[in-house]
This record gives sequence, C-alpha cells and structure tokens, in this order.
Amino acid sequence: MPDQADPVQAESVRRRAFLRGALGAGAAGAVAGAAAGFAYQATRPAPASLQALENTEAGLLPPVPFHGRYQAGILPRSQRQTAVIAFNATADGRAELTGLFRTITDRARFLTAGGTPPPAGIGAPPSDSGVLGPAVVPDGLTVTAGVGSTLFDERYGLAPRRPARLTPMRAFPDDDLDPAQVGGDLVLQLSAGNADAVLHALRDIARHTRGGMQALWRIDGFTSPARPAGTVPRNMLGFMDGIANPDTGDRAQMNRLVWIQPGTAGEPAWTAGGSYLVVRLIRMLVEFWDRVDITEQENMIGRRRAAGYPLDSTSIGATPDYAADPSGAVIPLTSHIRLANPRTPQSADSRILRRGYNYDRGLDQVGDLDIGLIFTCFQQDIKRQFEAVQTRLAGEPLTDYISPFGGGYFLALPGVVDGSDYLARALLT
Amino acid sequence: MGVNVRRAAPRSSLAAVLAAALAAIAGVATACSGGSAPVDLVSVSNGGCGSSWHLAGPGWHTFQVHNAAAENAEVDLVNPANGAVYAEVEALGPGTTSPMRLNVGSGSYAFRCLFEDFDPLTGPTVVVGGRVRGSPAILPVTSNDLLAPAREYHDWVAAGLSTLVRQTAAVAADVRGGNLGAARTGWLTAHLTYERLGAAYDAFGDFDQKIDGRADGLAGGVDSARWTGFYRLEYGLWHGQGARQLTPVANTLAADARGLRAAWPTMQIDLIDMGLRTHEILENALQFQLTGHDDYGSGSTLATIGANILGTRELLAVLRPLLVPRYTGLPAVYTWLDRLQTLIEATRGPNGAWLSVSVLDLSRRQQIDAACGQALEVLAPIAVITEPRRT
Repeated sequence: MPDQADPVQAESVRRRAFLRGALGAGAAGAVAGAAAGFAYQATRPAPASLQALENTEAGLLPPVPFHGRYQAGILPRSQRQTAVIAFNATADGRAELTGLFRTITDRARFLTAGGTPPPAGIGAPPSDSGVLGPAVVPDGLTVTAGVGSTLFDERYGLAPRRPARLTPMRAFPDDDLDPAQVGGDLVLQLSAGNADAVLHALRDIARHTRGGMQALWRIDGFTSPARPAGTVPRNMLGFMDGIANPDTGDRAQMNRLVWIQPGTAGEPAWTAGGSYLVVRLIRMLVEFWDRVDITEQENMIGRRRAAGYPLDSTSIGATPDYAADPSGAVIPLTSHIRLANPRTPQSADSRILRRGYNYDRGLDQVGDLDIGLIFTCFQQDIKRQFEAVQTRLAGEPLTDYISPFGGGYFLALPGVVDGSDYLARALLT
Repeated sequence: MGVNVRRAAPRSSLAAVLAAALAAIAGVATACSGGSAPVDLVSVSNGGCGSSWHLAGPGWHTFQVHNAAAENAEVDLVNPANGAVYAEVEALGPGTTSPMRLNVGSGSYAFRCLFEDFDPLTGPTVVVGGRVRGSPAILPVTSNDLLAPAREYHDWVAAGLSTLVRQTAAVAADVRGGNLGAARTGWLTAHLTYERLGAAYDAFGDFDQKIDGRADGLAGGVDSARWTGFYRLEYGLWHGQGARQLTPVANTLAADARGLRAAWPTMQIDLIDMGLRTHEILENALQFQLTGHDDYGSGSTLATIGANILGTRELLAVLRPLLVPRYTGLPAVYTWLDRLQTLIEATRGPNGAWLSVSVLDLSRRQQIDAACGQALEVLAPIAVITEPRRT
C-alpha cells in the first residue's frame, strides 16, 4: 500500500505504486508477490458456441469422460463454476487412506457420468441429495484431486514416495497468508457448468468420506461470460484474464510444461501422468482499484482494459513486441504481462497452464467487497515455473491492489485409467 | 437441549407429502439413464392390488403406481413368502400416481396394498428365475416389534431419572450452603446423567425446556428471568453469580427433576422415536456440543458428547434384536461410536479434567469431527429401518 514514497515525487508524478514499483524494481527482494494470476500468454480465445452456452444455461453440458491417463479437469478451459476444497486426511492408517481414495474415485466416476441414484428402499435415507433432480446430470462436471506435502508425513508411511518438487506453499513477501486457509493433505477442485452441480458433487463426496477426511478450507469461484461475446472472460479488475496459455492441444508442449516426467526429473515413478497444482487465493482491493486512472490501470497490466489488446497492438491475441520497446515506453517494463512472460527464450520453460476463477465472499470488516481471484495453475515444476514467474513479478505495481491470503501447493494425481483403477493407486500400492 | 421435533406423523396418518412426490413422476419416468429401464403401470384399489402386473425380467424397473381407490394408500412391493419389503410408496392419495424404482433380481415379488381402515391386500405373485442379485428386501418392523424395546428403554430412563433427582438435590443443597465448588462438580455429574437420557427428549414434553433449555430464543438471552435448568445454573456457576442468586435456580432445577420423575410413568415413548433418536442425539451433539454452542462456561461439551454416546448405545442395545437381521451396517456403527468415544476420552487433561472444544488443536478436532460425522452417516439408516410399518 502507499507508504514510503518520496513525497515530492508522489506529488509530481503519477501516483502510488505504479511509479514506486517502477522505481523499486531494482531493489533486491522487493515486494514480490502478486499472483502470477495475470499471465496472459499466447493463442487466441475460443468463444463458446451458442449451443454450448444454451447447454450451460440448461445445466446440460455433456459428460466429460472420467477415465484417462490424465485427470480430465486439468487441460480444459475454465468452466463456469468451480469449488476448491482442501482437506486433511483423518483416515486411520494406510488401508483406510486407500479406502478414502477408492471412495472419492467411485463417487467422481458416478457424478461425472450422471445417472439415476439407486433407490434406498426401506433400508436407508435417500442415497442422493436430490439437488439435481431425480437423475444426476453430469453438467460437464470434472473432479480434480491432488495431494499436499503434508500427506507424506509419518502417518501413512508415504515419506519415501514424496514427490521431489512437492513442498509447502512458500510465503512470498507481499502475501498476507491466513494459516487456516493454506495447505491441506488433499485438494479437490470440482468444476461444472452450474453452481448446483458443483455443490451437489461436494455434498455427495463429503457424505461418503466423512470418516476419512475433513475439509480445511473452501472457496467457490466462477468464470464470467466473455463480454463482449467472442472475447475473453474478465477478472474483477475489469481486465480480460487468461487471454492465452500454452497450447493444450500441443502434446510436446504439455509434456514440457504440464506433465511430470518421472523418468528424467528424479520424480518417483508413481507421479507419471500427474501435474503440480498451485492454488493462490487472491483478494482484489477493487474499491482502491476503481479509484485509479484508466491509463495507470492499463500500464499496470500492459493491456487495454476495454479491448484486451496489448498496449502495442490492435488485437487480443497479438504477441507484444518487447524487442521494439526496450525502454518500456509503450508497454512499461513493470507491467504485469511483461514481467509475467517476457517472451524470451530463457522464460519459455517457466510458462504455466493457468486457470483463473473469480470469487465473491461477501464483505470485509470495513464494508468493502471481499472479491478476487482463485488463481490455479498446472505445471511440471513449481520452482522452475510458478515461483519463477512470481519472482519476476516481485515489486510489480499491481501488488498494491491485491492481497494473496491462502492456497497451497499440490500434486494433481495421475488419471484413473479404467473402472478398476482408482486415484492415487500408484502412490499407495 | 431438546431435539427438534421433526418428521411428519407416523404411518397411521398418511397425510400430505403428496405434492412433492407427484412433481417427480414425469421426471423419473423419462430420466432413468440406467439404460432401458422398463416403465410399468400398476393400478391398485381396494378391489385389487396390482392384479394385472407383470415383470419382463430382472434389472432396473420403474413402476408407476396408480391409486384408483378413494382412500389414501401405502403400496409395498414385497416378497410374499416372508413379507420383506423391496420398495414402498407411502401416502399415495386417491387418483394419484407415484414412481417406484428398484433393481429386480431373482425371487418372488407381489404388491401389497394398505388402505386406511381396510385389511391389507396382497396381489398376485411374480417369480423371477435365475440367480440375479437385485435390490435387497428388508423385513418391516411393526409397532408390535417395538413394544418390548420401548418398555425396556422406558424402564432404563426411569432408573436414570431417580439418579437425576438425587444428583440435582445434592447440587441444590450445595448451592444453598454456599459450597459453589462442590456445586460445580455436582452440576457436571447431574448434567451428564440427564444427557445420557437423550433419547427421550420429546417424551419429556415441556420438562426438557425447563431442565435443559438454552438461552437462545429468550428475550434478553442469558439475562432472561424465564431461563431455567442446567444451562442457566451453569452460566451462573461459571460467571461469578453468588449462592443467593443461584439458590432459586438450583431449587427449581431439582424440583423440575422431581416433577419429571413423577410424571414419567404416565409418559409414553412414541415408537417411531426409538429409531429416530439413534441418530438425532448425536446430530444435536454435533450441532450444539461439538461446536461449543452449548458451552455456558463449564467447558464440558465434550463430556456431554460422551454422555450422548452412552445414550445412543442404550437405544442401540434395546433395538439390537431388530437390527441384527436387517442392517448389515450395524458393525460399522459400533466401530465409529467406539472411535468417537475413544477420541473424546483422549481429550481429557490431567486429573481427568475436561477441556473446552475451543482449545483442541486442529488435528484432534478434525479427528473428532470425522468420527462424529461418519458415526452419524452409519446411524442414519436405523431410523428408516425401524420406522413402525403396517404389515
């Protein structure tokens, strides 16, 4: 927040952090922090077709196949609704932990496929909450499961299988972490076309796993429609978010950037098909932001707010030409997009597959809106990718307008290949 | 600490509930994504109970059960050999239709119709051959089956009430004598005695509010002059109120305990409550004790949960003969109650002192939450299984 700026400078030049950030960028270890949550990258947006839109509204998105080498929720674009829930394992011993993962798998298999829940007869309460009607519609549901570093402590004898790059989440200098909203032995991300499908899935899974795990923290998020249609959904700062990402259709690129490669990287064999997941819960101080001049806003991000173009271009998908702008006269050197992805050969392998969601949690103590971003990203190596991006963002002007307060590092498990397989099987057997 | 009164009347009044059931009909018939589940219309009246029904074979079936009679009906699909119920439709109003869905396996099937004021009718039997597993049938529990357990339970409560009278009298004497330290100790003992009797909340009528009511909902909250009972006394004993101020509170508690003991022989236990309470006691424990809500100063809500577990166990004990042949999940009930009880006991500090829930570390707290939640999940079917049914 505005603080030690030279008062004379603060008077004479454009104000606050934008400038201070620029001036302070050279200071070692300066305010790091801002989420990599704004890593606009390549490729063009893919607007939803009208039919898909109608299906979303009707809650009729088709099922996303659950079985596969990779978990199905990792590569697809952000869905309209999501919930991220971190749990601590309460299972008593390895056998119960295995039972827990089998149960999560069974429920996810059913919920993502949809169908009519079995009747309970006169032997039990209804087997389903009924929230989605008499038949469970899949509504595009994906269930993505991950494990945190704490699962590899002494409780389950998993220490020898700890993934090489799985650590507790680092606190970055500008973070304001609430310990109650950080970490977790497990994480689930449930995404679907509508909030009722997400909540239905959460209730169902929780009901079947009460003894085995207990929720630690939870946040719900949404992806806005692209406005105007055909562009890219916006975050709560009003800017298009996630304009681009590595090309998920490019297998070689995914193998370089997203999927863990146990053969070459010192990772245990069981991690094949997995990917590291970083979750960052980032409050946006939108009241402050809304009091900032549009030019300053755009300079902080590096894009036009209305159209999403890089400041040196006239199309959303254009690649900014930093070589032609070495002093940052057009796209400031401290702008978010320039720091997050400088588009150099050296920065190419720090790219991440990012999936952002907006969140809305009501109000804070002074009546301001508690809204912001659930930043999630997938990668092969958290240090090489997310943390490198985050480190480059140290001191960016945007840090004054955001406040990371929670999240965690997880390993999104390998996929469930068929009906007899289950999540974490390779880890537990 | 009363359990919320909930659930519509027992079976004898086949009232309401219809609208919701009806709304579902169309949906169920078409939405079964279990493939090609056949839809069969089954008509019942007091002249015939599914007289012309058939079964194409095993697998998922959805019967549309239509009540052509002028009275409310209950329609069960039963094994005619022993009366075990595969599926049921309750409170089926005249002229209405409701779906009944089940997985038909090898065995004998017949519809049984129960119309108010008429003898039960059983329709023709259809036999499905082969060795296919379908939805299981469960022997219905009747009111008759529940009489002996209820009597046993009634006696157990009576014994507990005598203890309660003795213990509340001792607390009142301590308060009157100004021995507030002894009163605090005695308060916990007496309160746990009462909490063990949890299954009888509704049966205690107004006494429960007098003896164990919360300050919630009273104008003025904890300062309300209308607030009486254990929690009122707890609040005073742990908030520096003196013997003089608390003497009438303690005397009233002791008097209400005596009143309840005197009234108990004429108070009946609703048979449907026997099963309901097997999970409702711990539902309340989760909502009010495990959260710390009902801690008015003594920090003893974990002890209360321990007492509630014992109360639940007593109910299970009297219902056990009915449950063993009907509920395959019964061993899991004991597994999780044992685990919960062990975890609760393990929270006690040196000298056996109880700790407030709020000082437990997260890991221990989550272990307890998990065990309580899982115990509730496996307890829940008991209420459905032991609901008294006509046969």
